Amino acid sequence: MLADIEKYLYREVRLLDERRFEEWTDLFTEDGYYWVPAYPNQTDPYKAVSIFFDDRQVMRTRLSRLDHPNIHAQKPPSRTVHIVSNIEIDEKHDVEGEILVHSTLQMMEFRLDKQTHYGGRAQHLLLKTDDGFMLKWKRVDLINCDGVFEPLAIPF
Amino acid sequence: MTSYDTNALRGLVQSDRVHKDFYINPDVFDIEMERIFGRIWLFVGHTSQVPNNGDYLTTTVARQPVIMSRDRNGKVHVMFNRCTHRGSQVCLEQFGNTKRFECPYHAWVFNNDGSFAGAPYPKGYADGFLDKEKLDLVKLPRMEIYRGFVFVSLSTDVPDIDEFLGPMKDHIDAFCDRSPEGEVEACAGVFRYRYDGNWKLQMENQTDVYHIMFTHVSTTDEDGKQFRREGAEEDEAGKVKVLAKNSRLDDQWEEHPLGGHRHGHVYMGRFAMDKKNSGPVYDRYKASMEKAYGDQAEENMTVRTHNSIFYPHWSIQHLSQHIRVMNPISVDCTENIIIPLKLKGAPEEMWHAALRSNNNSHSPSGMVMSDDMEVWVRCHEGLKTQSTDWVILARGMNEKFSGDNTGSYESHGTSESGARNQQLAWIDYMCGQG
Repeated sequence: MLADIEKYLYREVRLLDERRFEEWTDLFTEDGYYWVPAYPNQTDPYKAVSIFFDDRQVMRTRLSRLDHPNIHAQKPPSRTVHIVSNIEIDEKHDVEGEILVHSTLQMMEFRLDKQTHYGGRAQHLLLKTDDGFMLKWKRVDLINCDGVFEPLAIPF
Repeated sequence: MTSYDTNALRGLVQSDRVHKDFYINPDVFDIEMERIFGRIWLFVGHTSQVPNNGDYLTTTVARQPVIMSRDRNGKVHVMFNRCTHRGSQVCLEQFGNTKRFECPYHAWVFNNDGSFAGAPYPKGYADGFLDKEKLDLVKLPRMEIYRGFVFVSLSTDVPDIDEFLGPMKDHIDAFCDRSPEGEVEACAGVFRYRYDGNWKLQMENQTDVYHIMFTHVSTTDEDGKQFRREGAEEDEAGKVKVLAKNSRLDDQWEEHPLGGHRHGHVYMGRFAMDKKNSGPVYDRYKASMEKAYGDQAEENMTVRTHNSIFYPHWSIQHLSQHIRVMNPISVDCTENIIIPLKLKGAPEEMWHAALRSNNNSHSPSGMVMSDDMEVWVRCHEGLKTQSTDWVILARGMNEKFSGDNTGSYESHGTSESGARNQQLAWIDYMCGQG
């Protein structure tokens, strides 16, 4: 099981590094979401601002923008590498058909002679289906979530 | 180092162009900090950011760390974040609640209204010294609050706040009066981000209709229409979106109203929308507004301005529902603070849609701001070249522009009048007629 989950998470972030954004979006269930809170210890995305809080519709907007020939903030594009480690299955999450996975996540980004390093803790809620896992939500709690940022384009 | 005299400063701004040093010269920046940011009203925050007695937040005003707090009697204070003993900042949390601030160095203690509350081992001082010396945390020289908007000044010698804001006060009123309770609430925290470019590049961008269809072309779909940005709540909240054809220059944009007032304040009229607001949530909102304002409700619900840009460093974004503060860090670095605002008493669904819209458009990953920042950084880098000394702001010069920093003006479309109006104020502040 852990090996399957590892494989899934590695592929998930590889799709971002390879800029296969449509395939990445398709990992999520129709009611799935991607959430990066702007403050630590958040429990509700409607209580405070979020760096990302994308449902499938916003994801599609964001990612089709990334494919637009004139997205100036990505000309030239960022190169990224995501590093997933410390993967743990949440034993306390006892919902039939669901697996809650905790991990640590880093993203290195390079653009215009500048390299930036982000890091935080990630959570994935996976649904077991006949065709493998579906992603109900992914949440990333960056250690600098309430810090001062430079513009971001690529999901963590 | 050269020091710019008044004539040299005046020479940087001509009627239809500005010299590159206006944006990139560090000496000019230092003079701006003294004569503009040091001498006029600046925005520090909204009282709803410190809703309860004992609440505080830390921020910066013209590069100086300050604390905004609410004392045990509910009164709001803004003071320098500097121990009156040896200079250490007394608080580094972004926000919180406390009765007292304690300096980490020698544990001098200050009440949450800034008053000095004691120093350890007082016997080490001469008799009466601690009582006689003024040891309270030092307040900003001036502070005024208007409908929760907190203004401060680094100098006591500032114009009357009403005179300074002039007709822009109506823009604050218009925003607050969209709430059934006549109040806005900054209750969702803030975004902070920075770009490597001069502060004025952003100030001038905010009434620049000309750039929208080019800089933001990637936020349109194949038909040239705006993407939706709010997510699922948009329809539910009955929110409307910017009319089609963002991606090309047409009459819609050229008719767009612009204007400004004395002291460098400018605004952009509301964008044309694709449809009227409607739906069950909107109906609830309308009902609560009618209950609160009667015949005035329709008027109060009508958003007339897209944004209101208060010189020198902040704006109200009426449609996207936030305050934007643009804090200069250095000549080539600017920090933005985005403060989303809730219309108190309006349906929760509307607030959710507004919050999501802010996440999607104006967060560090925002689909609108990131292209703007890219452009400002490229401008700042490009201006460093010896290519040519001048930046051309002549668009709309063939039309009547009555702005002369003595009164109000109206303009329209893709005219660069907003930037020119700010620059007229800049000359007056920098050269001594502000």
